[in-house]
Amino acid sequence: MSTSVLAVEGGEGFVSPGPSTFVYPPIFGEGTFLTKPMLIVILGSALIAVLMFLATRRASVVPSKGQFVGESLYGFVRNSIALDAIGKPGMKYVPYLATVFFFLATMNIAGIVPLVQFPATSRIAFPLILAVISCVIFNAIGIKRHGLGGYFKDMMFPPGIPWPVYILLAPIEFVSTIIIRPLTLTLRLTFNMFAGHLVLVLFILGGEYLIFEYSGVVGIAAGTVAILGSLILTAFEGFVQLLQAYVFTLLSALYIGGALADEH
Amino acid sequence: MPPVPPDDSSDDDAKALGRKGEADAYGALGLVISGVLVWGGVGFLVSERLDNPVFVMLGLLLGMGAGLYLVWFRYGRQQ
Repeated sequence: MSTSVLAVEGGEGFVSPGPSTFVYPPIFGEGTFLTKPMLIVILGSALIAVLMFLATRRASVVPSKGQFVGESLYGFVRNSIALDAIGKPGMKYVPYLATVFFFLATMNIAGIVPLVQFPATSRIAFPLILAVISCVIFNAIGIKRHGLGGYFKDMMFPPGIPWPVYILLAPIEFVSTIIIRPLTLTLRLTFNMFAGHLVLVLFILGGEYLIFEYSGVVGIAAGTVAILGSLILTAFEGFVQLLQAYVFTLLSALYIGGALADEH
Repeated sequence: MPPVPPDDSSDDDAKALGRKGEADAYGALGLVISGVLVWGGVGFLVSERLDNPVFVMLGLLLGMGAGLYLVWFRYGRQQ
């Protein structure tokens, strides 16, 4: 945990936010387990469920406003992710992909929602579990499609290489598919959220410190710039959060598409 | 359910090609990383066993070479 201290005359100095920013104590005191990130996940999931229920209730040919928005979002996942990455067989996996996309988008966006302001996905456990689920799914699909031997043969022994070289290459293919894929899914999402949240916290706390503690003309001017900067960064962060939800879902779809394909 | 979009195949092909490019980029990165991890790891174990650090180096280089070869084999050849 790095806490660099900028000494200022008369003040206590500014303690810059570090990884400790992401550690929350249990809400109801020692011994209980519920923390803020968990609460965000629970409430966020409930929110998605309620909104989706409201959007699909009384579905009609001429959609209401809610139904239209819900169907547009679902249609986006279906057309831009499932059909693009997998093709026609992708229709089967749209429910999973849509669930992942809505879940991640909500948990990421929680990072810029006023008062919540914490992306639950910056805690590695949530992306990790989702990545493991995606990994199990695309491997299961591949095994079901090609048979256990056929799937691993396609993966590890591409035709056209003299056999002694397989000793060198097969383990690499195996590790890259089974371990590196979920790992990169997890790390890409987690640390995009982690870094984004850290930058926002730094700008806001730093700006506040400059204005109220450092004060003076310089402090207030620099602090104002920092606060304004944090607004711009919040907008940018919102973009990154949606993009990362999209990338995670798209890659899951591409892996499923790869497992379904006849030749790797 | 909103209607399935009309089958505009030329547009779909272009999009699919773009997606494939993305997937290939991540796939290539994964291969190089796994190459270094697998054979660097083997080299590390051998080095520990024989008390000679040179095998880590050999393993890393071998893994990097094998990973790059796989990238070329999977994505770089003229089809």
